[in-house]
Amino acid sequence: MSDIARSARRLPRIPPVPLAILVGVVLGGLLVLVSGGNPVEAYTAIVTGALAWDNLPDTLNWAVPLVGMTLVAAIPLRGGMINLGGDGQMVIGGLVAALVPLYIPGPGPLLIVVAILAAMLASGLYATIAAWGETRHGIPMLISSLLLSYPAIGICSYIVGFPLRDTTTGLAQTAMVPEAVRLPVLSGPLNAGLLIMAVVAILVVLYDRFTVGGYELRMRGLNARFAGYGGVPLARQMTGVMFASGAIAGLVGALIVLGSQFRFQDGALLSPGYTWSGLMAALLAGGEPLGAILAGAFFAALQTGGFAMQRETSIPRVLTMVLQSIIILFLAIRHGVGRRRETR
Amino acid sequence: MLDFITPFLVNSAVQAITPLLLAALAGTLCGRVGVFNMALEGQMLVGAFAAVVGSYATGSALGGIAAAMLATVAFSLILAYGVTVFRGDAVVICVGMNLLASGLTAYLLRQMFGVSGTFSDPAIVGLEKIRIAAINGWPVIGWIFSRQTALTWVAWILVAVVTVVMFRTPLGLRLRGVGEDPEAAETMGVDVTRYRIITVLVAGAIVGLAGAQLSLGTVSIFSEDMSAGRGWIAVVAVMLGRNHPLWAALACVLFGFADAFSVRLQGQGLPNQVTDVVPYVVTLVALVLTHTKRRRRQDPTITASP
Amino acid sequence: MMAGPAGVSPEVELEARGIVKRYGPLLANDRIDLVVARGEVHAVMGENGAGKSTLMSILYGLQQPDAGEIFLRGRKVEYRSALDAIAEGMGMVHQAFKLFNSLTVWENVVYGMEPSRSGFIDRRMAIARVGEIAARYRLAVDPTAVVGTLSVGVRQRVEILKALYRDARILILDEPTAVLTPQERDGLFDVIRHLAADGRTILFVTHKLHEVMTITGRVTVLRDGRVVERMATADTSPREIIRAMTGRAVNLKVEKSIAKPGAPVLVAEDLTVLSDDGRPLVDRASLSIRGGEIVGIAGVAGNGQTELIEALAGLRPPFRGRVSIAGQDVTAAGVDAHRVAGLAYIPEDRAVTGTARAASAADNLAMGFHRHPPLARHGLLDGRALTAGAKAMIARFGIKIGSEKLAVGTLSGGNLQKVVVARELTHRAPLLIAEQPTRGVDVGAIEFIHSELVAERDRGAAVLLVSAELSEILALADRILVMYEGRILAEVDAATATEEGLGLLMAGRVQEAA
Repeated sequence: MSDIARSARRLPRIPPVPLAILVGVVLGGLLVLVSGGNPVEAYTAIVTGALAWDNLPDTLNWAVPLVGMTLVAAIPLRGGMINLGGDGQMVIGGLVAALVPLYIPGPGPLLIVVAILAAMLASGLYATIAAWGETRHGIPMLISSLLLSYPAIGICSYIVGFPLRDTTTGLAQTAMVPEAVRLPVLSGPLNAGLLIMAVVAILVVLYDRFTVGGYELRMRGLNARFAGYGGVPLARQMTGVMFASGAIAGLVGALIVLGSQFRFQDGALLSPGYTWSGLMAALLAGGEPLGAILAGAFFAALQTGGFAMQRETSIPRVLTMVLQSIIILFLAIRHGVGRRRETR
Repeated sequence: MLDFITPFLVNSAVQAITPLLLAALAGTLCGRVGVFNMALEGQMLVGAFAAVVGSYATGSALGGIAAAMLATVAFSLILAYGVTVFRGDAVVICVGMNLLASGLTAYLLRQMFGVSGTFSDPAIVGLEKIRIAAINGWPVIGWIFSRQTALTWVAWILVAVVTVVMFRTPLGLRLRGVGEDPEAAETMGVDVTRYRIITVLVAGAIVGLAGAQLSLGTVSIFSEDMSAGRGWIAVVAVMLGRNHPLWAALACVLFGFADAFSVRLQGQGLPNQVTDVVPYVVTLVALVLTHTKRRRRQDPTITASP
Repeated sequence: MMAGPAGVSPEVELEARGIVKRYGPLLANDRIDLVVARGEVHAVMGENGAGKSTLMSILYGLQQPDAGEIFLRGRKVEYRSALDAIAEGMGMVHQAFKLFNSLTVWENVVYGMEPSRSGFIDRRMAIARVGEIAARYRLAVDPTAVVGTLSVGVRQRVEILKALYRDARILILDEPTAVLTPQERDGLFDVIRHLAADGRTILFVTHKLHEVMTITGRVTVLRDGRVVERMATADTSPREIIRAMTGRAVNLKVEKSIAKPGAPVLVAEDLTVLSDDGRPLVDRASLSIRGGEIVGIAGVAGNGQTELIEALAGLRPPFRGRVSIAGQDVTAAGVDAHRVAGLAYIPEDRAVTGTARAASAADNLAMGFHRHPPLARHGLLDGRALTAGAKAMIARFGIKIGSEKLAVGTLSGGNLQKVVVARELTHRAPLLIAEQPTRGVDVGAIEFIHSELVAERDRGAAVLLVSAELSEILALADRILVMYEGRILAEVDAATATEEGLGLLMAGRVQEAA
């Protein structure tokens, strides 16, 4: 072990995260090169595609769900817990947000609020099932949260495929939500979802820094036994954390449905892979909310740039996914991201 | 209810069990040396992709199997060295590996074959189904054993081999010790790091077989994310089996039948969105049933007090 | 090499010359010389932190010295790992056993050196061989028993068997009696005498004086990483050894006045705690601790003390019974309710339970009191109060840390324990539970913590003390409760208690003790 420590000291002193990004960029570039592409061209396309003035709104728009799903992962992670069920929770939120305005009458602005709150409540409650399984029966939440995703996705998919399908189209999707219940547009592709997510992100950071609950969650992440010994009700805390995490996943689903897609479409929420990218971003920051938000925004830029790259070069945009995983693997291996900080 | 158990159901269940079983065996091996392998999903995907590439390139299924094993072993180096020499967190590494497998196979699929989604080609040679004429017509035995790929046979033979090695040989004793208390094993002169690395790599080869069965077994195609949660079900089988190969195999049989049963339900006119959920629901129910015993013990008079 | 006293020249089995080992700024072993004759029982004494453990790790090949040489039977040896040392005939029984609990005794013993036949373990041969060694040295063990089901004393025999199976000629026993009843200890001494008579050499690491006087032939005393004294046991006295160990005459008696007990603060009635598989870990225990007294709980580790304390502190729900603190029923309530009712609690393991190593000193010093004023109001933490409180505690308890913002992970054992003690004593709670409060801390810190516990008592707090060190309980407690197999077997007045009497009670022998 000491040999490795020593060789690490000999490396130029680059902070871990930029170093990991550099490694990801180099390895990704090699991959592009081997498969016959031009790495310089690819990266130029990514950077301009993400950060050029005209493209910034797209990046921001993509960042709303991605940062949201980053928070979904970061909140439990701050306390040393992992929620792998973001996909299912997001889909439930999306479906509920679509169904509320379709089947409940009422004035538009009120319905927006009701739809979002209903989505958050439904997803939050669904997420607490995994917490309940662990606190009550000792079923590891790590695995149960993931497994619970599949039935949620399947059932939502069935609901829009059969009983509540929009029969005017051939696709498995609900009807369009009325204009009045759509999120107000700010400018271009940006809608009020951006503001809502920004408020949520700020609240999470403030909660983490200044409240008793934030302190307790942080201490649990550093040493759960210590937190329990100090009077933190671990079971109740886990349930609460999972509810908050799931509720934000539900919010993400709702914001996508009410802000850009205007209907719940089978598979549309999942194909961008927000959940796993969000988890990566949260892991990158070790669950620290502000760092996680920045990491989430970084991944959003990377992925938005990926679309541009795919348009302008023939290189498929899944390359950005490869980059993300290389970055996280490098950090996990080299700098012990996520390493258990408790002494054994 | 019983008329559901048809020759076809049994036969397709045994087919569905094979990749689960191979992956669960690999997970069990890793678990025995104290490495919680949650990367089975990604490893299986890498194996499935490499199997198609190998089969396509060499024109033989055997070439596909060899490529699958090689690629998955190479991929498993990340886990093997990550959790030992570099002391990384297994959960984070496994999550990263799963994502890397998904991204890399999709990327290579497009770059090598110019397709996205699903790749099929007559040049991909699938695994042969071994017909055993003698038992073909027999009930149950024939349903189970005939018309299966060689990998199904390998999987079940491996269950026996792993069990015997684990509980009857010096190597197995050492592996069990390494997983239970690495520090104690180290003081007895067992090189924990080396045992772990080699075990994780051997397990990688076995998951490679699972991937090959997936892409060359029933079908001869590769499609993105075709492991479709099977790796996670194998992880649950490892957990339910408490790292014992026979119990893990039993869990796989249960899940395999659930899988075959869900296909059968589809044939009865149920939508696939509902039937696809069946294996996961069975998995969750199995988790709940095996964990209910551990409920906290307390005299009822206590909870009644304020 | 063959120099010995007065004509007889016992053969030298082990010799270490000029051993140096450094950890950063700390010189753990400073030019240590050690000579041990064949068939000798040789005590290595010293306080915690004197360098005994480091020296033993080096002799057993677990660590490599920075300088110095080791000779076995006159031949120079160099170890790259413990394996080399084992091959040279070294054996070691660690203080924390290194056993596989799910495996059988014979599997543990042969692990790494399995007899095999055509690739499979030769089970019959292994069992026979283990049984044979056990019989020869009168180590009563069933080779086919699963280790997890055995008592601590028997597990220790398994550890000795492991060394003997590898034909250890020199056996290092690291604090072997810490976990034994006095009666089990005597059994161990019999085994040691057998081994010595058989020509095997024993290195007996301890800090217990009477054991050294009873069983060993020679003593080497370490202090601050150096050898300060070498003597034949017969020519020395406990007083002389203790002076060598500490560098001064230490008064182990704690100065305290007679207790003036007030009203009961902690009351437990008929408390029962079950294990996951339904066995009683604490069995109908009743106790009442009054303000202004220290009550000690004595018992061999693993007789339910840990679980009793966990139930009293709210960390583990009891199966049956009642617990009240300062008149409030807290039986089924969580830790926070216990804290509000008046609990302060120094846990057994400061690194695993008592602190979060990666958290700052300020965060560590707030835990448990962070939900209520002055540290928090309306769910918001008062950062300024947190910092001020931490600074005050660091100053008052002399915690050696640069700033309250630094993580506590790098603090020494004694300093880390001071963090825990400072936190739990600062809030003047009516009840203090102190579990192994001085384990693994140096003499200075022990004296400090002892006087703080007495001060807590004198200001009227009820103090419940659990300690593996009988001497600590005898020195501090006003009343002593003895736990055996989950039950509170007896209550003894500390004024009349003797170590021997308590020892018999700890072994469950009530009649003989009376």
